[in-house]
Amino acid sequence: MGLASASTATDGMQLCIFDLRRGQNEGQELDKILFFFPADLPFSTQLSVIGLSEGLITFTRIFSPEAACEIIEAERHSHVFYEAETDIWMVMVVEKGKDSDAIWRIDALRKVLKEVHSLFVMFYGSIRAMLEKDPSGGLIRSHLYPFIMDYLSDFPVGKKLQLPSFRDCLKERGTVQMLTMGREAAIEVQSLVSVLDSCAGNSSCYSMILFHDLLVSTTLSPDDTINLFTYAVLRLSPNALSSGVNSWSYIRRGSTSSHFVSGSALTHSGPVSEQIYHSSDTSPVGNNINRVTRALQHGKWYKGKDGFLVTDIWGVDVGSLVCATPTVWLQQTEEAMYLCPYQFKSLTLILLIPVSSILNGEQGVALVKQQLLENASLKILKVEEKLSKGWGGENAYHVSGYRYLLVDGDRNISRASPPGKVTTLAKESLLALSKLRDEVDLEKSRAKRDNAGCEKDLEVSIRAKNNAWAIARITGGKELYMVLEKASETLLYASDAVEKFSNRYCNGAFSLD
Amino acid sequence: MSTSSSSPSSDEELIFNPNPIPKPIDDELTLASLTLTESNGNGSVGESDRYGGAGVVLEAEREGEREGPSSPSSSGYAGERGSSSEGTSNSRIGDEDDDGIQEVINDHDGFVDGVGDSSPSASWVPGKRHVDEDDASISWRKRKKHFFILSHSGKPIYSRYGDEHKLAGFSATLQAIISFVENGKDRIKLVRAGKHQVVFLIKGPIYLVCISCTEEPYESLRGQLELLYGQMILILTKSINRCFEKNPKFDMTPLLGGTDVVFSSLIHSFNWNPATFLHAYTCLPLAYATRQAAGAVLQDVADSGVLFALLMCKCKVVSLVGAQKASLHPDDMLLLSNFVMSSESFRTSESFSPICLPRYNPTAFLYAYVHYFDADTYLMLLTTSSDAFYHLKDCRVCFILIQRNNNLAFDVTNKGSSCVATVVRYHSCFQPLDPANTTVQLWIQWLVATVVLLRSNVLSEVQRSMLEGGMRVEDLPVDPLPRSSMPHRLSQQRILTQSPEIFSESIVGIGGPTGLWHFIYRSIYLDQYVSSDFSPPISSPQQQKRLYRAYQKLYCSMHDKGIGPHKTQFRRDENYVLLCWVTQDFELYAAFDPLADKAVAIKTCNRVCQWVKDVENEIFLQGASPFSW
Repeated sequence: MGLASASTATDGMQLCIFDLRRGQNEGQELDKILFFFPADLPFSTQLSVIGLSEGLITFTRIFSPEAACEIIEAERHSHVFYEAETDIWMVMVVEKGKDSDAIWRIDALRKVLKEVHSLFVMFYGSIRAMLEKDPSGGLIRSHLYPFIMDYLSDFPVGKKLQLPSFRDCLKERGTVQMLTMGREAAIEVQSLVSVLDSCAGNSSCYSMILFHDLLVSTTLSPDDTINLFTYAVLRLSPNALSSGVNSWSYIRRGSTSSHFVSGSALTHSGPVSEQIYHSSDTSPVGNNINRVTRALQHGKWYKGKDGFLVTDIWGVDVGSLVCATPTVWLQQTEEAMYLCPYQFKSLTLILLIPVSSILNGEQGVALVKQQLLENASLKILKVEEKLSKGWGGENAYHVSGYRYLLVDGDRNISRASPPGKVTTLAKESLLALSKLRDEVDLEKSRAKRDNAGCEKDLEVSIRAKNNAWAIARITGGKELYMVLEKASETLLYASDAVEKFSNRYCNGAFSLD
Repeated sequence: MSTSSSSPSSDEELIFNPNPIPKPIDDELTLASLTLTESNGNGSVGESDRYGGAGVVLEAEREGEREGPSSPSSSGYAGERGSSSEGTSNSRIGDEDDDGIQEVINDHDGFVDGVGDSSPSASWVPGKRHVDEDDASISWRKRKKHFFILSHSGKPIYSRYGDEHKLAGFSATLQAIISFVENGKDRIKLVRAGKHQVVFLIKGPIYLVCISCTEEPYESLRGQLELLYGQMILILTKSINRCFEKNPKFDMTPLLGGTDVVFSSLIHSFNWNPATFLHAYTCLPLAYATRQAAGAVLQDVADSGVLFALLMCKCKVVSLVGAQKASLHPDDMLLLSNFVMSSESFRTSESFSPICLPRYNPTAFLYAYVHYFDADTYLMLLTTSSDAFYHLKDCRVCFILIQRNNNLAFDVTNKGSSCVATVVRYHSCFQPLDPANTTVQLWIQWLVATVVLLRSNVLSEVQRSMLEGGMRVEDLPVDPLPRSSMPHRLSQQRILTQSPEIFSESIVGIGGPTGLWHFIYRSIYLDQYVSSDFSPPISSPQQQKRLYRAYQKLYCSMHDKGIGPHKTQFRRDENYVLLCWVTQDFELYAAFDPLADKAVAIKTCNRVCQWVKDVENEIFLQGASPFSW
């Protein structure tokens, strides 16, 4: 394991983060680079990627001052841009057509950038803030590198990075997937939530409940919900905890994969990475000042005897051998919160306690945890029971004959055909839908620019060469994407199928009166 | 590719030919200089002063082009009213510079219109705009669609807006971006930023760039750059590349001096001419017999050694004929007709010009003879023979003579060998011409064709068709069943619907039956399309342009390079319902009211297809047998 293996596994993809405000003088260009993957690329190559990006950001601002470069399409590569924070850019370069799956939907790639940044901010605060704290850039680099490497390790298939391609066109990153439950269960959940929220006395706690990889309830703001949900599905849910079992999550591919980069990420054997990413060693008890918490490190969460999940990622108190409780930043309230996940069977509860409300650190957290167990154990049992009863299994949301993705953009919720069912579709069908989604993405961003507030209304049905229908419907902030593969269907038949689906599963949201 | 053999084209020629723009041959200067050059005998066209002065030819373009708005499907220059801006006051600011030997003459068509590409008010005027601008001007940056041509060393060759010289720095930036990506063993295609797209097309030493916020798909913009490049090749041939091989810093601008109008008119046509993305041509609707008659005349000409003979009305084909095994690509026809229509000299008198058909043979020149019969109708003869080119002087004299003594000329009703003989006999008393000479025969055939066309009813029919327009959605036969009893001939239909004013009044604002607003039908086999005339509610040029762009988008979506073509597409947004249907034989693009019912729309599309089939003899050029499509 080492840098060599990391680069062979990832050739075809580059990811960099740079700060336009840094390295303005000649000879200091390296200062711009906050992160570069693969790290073992020669600096000249890294600088040329960043130079091109910077050049085009400047160039496009001549014509489009309000929105600078978003994408460069070249014959062999796509460069996807995302301005994560003012003047802090993330650029992902992917190789096209290297294998038959290397056909990308740009928006899906951009959402990867957005996701990793949001997660980073949740754990460490903004990149800019960290740069201000340590203007040398050492601090941010030492945080970004392990974090993003850990994040990328969730994308492998075999030894390759498998980024979202056209095959993932029936998924939507950056949304949560909800569990549908009966009225009775909902009442039980509601009562559990009120207990959770009040278990730290007067201070306002937040909570999130998941069943398997599906969201049951949240009291967080939508953005915070997405971030925490993403993290929970990545690292906390029963699927994420149990290695060896494939996750069937809508968004994630097997999260239990070989940790192809995580190992190499921190073994900074090369002088290159040593130089920039002078982060600490990986020893869990390495209590030096530079110690960087690797919030996304794999296999570091365990279920304790009391049902709470613990990790030593945030350090261990040498004296008491108690693991430090992780903290996260809420975007909405800009508040630091203790993250206390609890798991019972398939039910995962996440309690967020304001750091400010706990005066005596870990002891105080332990107290709250204890209180939770005392007050909520029974309710948790009940909720779990109710939800398990109504649980339809992995294919609960499969609708036979349909392969679909339903996105509620206003609530950031999506639901889709189970991945196992989507894989039955022909490549041509998936390509057709992926291309259609590309078009729709453009239309959506146009509509957003041109008339903010006015909802885009669009209906497209395409019959592809292989006779499959690729369908997109957008109305009232909701989006429905569908592939219907039954041969010899007419347009009217396809429309009728959408209508039926809409009436039955979407409360008629996509029905034409 | 029979042209290459006879073509004298070479890079020398390119270098010494400062302006390949056609020149009226009745210009005394030209005749004089032609005589001079002729003597070198090797067919090399072109001392630099041969044309007297470059740019002269093109100056007086605008009068003829200032037309009122009309249907893009029926007229050449409708449409950019939708694109040229709030300023209707086209005050002329550039000074006339006829010195084509000097570098670019970018000022001679300077017109000011307002910022943007959106107001439908101003009627389109060809030629360069906003020469006073450069990349530092806010107004320049806000233009909706820029086109640039530059050389691989970063030298500006053409810019739609602004003075190329002032844009040298900007041009160098574009070049830097391209070469930066090339250094990484890649080739840049597109940059997207908000509404803006920057599209790159690299053609050897020539770089083409479009910067646009018109929201057209990448594929469309790239196709437009391809056409722009083709237009350049049409003027210069691809042998221009050799100039760059010899000298990377070669300055091409003098070679293109005065051709701004050609480029600007092509760019304008991207807004209204479906041929620019359909890669098909359209015909002027004519009775079958009339088109046959025109075809017969052209065929006679073709038989005497012409490669292609085209009779056109604006950008629509009346008839065309090609020599055996020679086929004319629709893109070449588009570029050729754009070249001819945008160059004023062709209008004022019979003209000749070396041209290159990029799809036919990008490396060789052909020679085009152009004769306008009226403001819109013109005959084009393309030949590979450079001899013909040089004998034009004689022929011209001959023609003048015939015109002056029309009654003496010949009896055109007996066309064929006898009338050829007459002409030759007549002519021989003036100047010895060898009737066996192919050039002479060609010329005579040309004369015969001209006179036959003039005396036949073809031209009057063409004019009538121009006035009457083409297919209208309002005329879509309601019930397809009694078709046999009631022939839906285009012409008869028109008489039915046109004469009673009330009838057409009553449907204003509704479009055709069942909310059909417009359609384009493309016959794949024939490489031709027919587009219905615009009628309310698609009446303003702006609406027309919007619909046109929607079609463009639909076309690109249907013809995806990787997985296309798709079979069917239904698309409903706030503006339209669009239906596209692609089969092996045809493609149909139809626009409906956004509230149109799906089932009814499908039925209507079927009826449109049937209707087109019923009148196909009138709207398409059928059985163009000499073509090897």
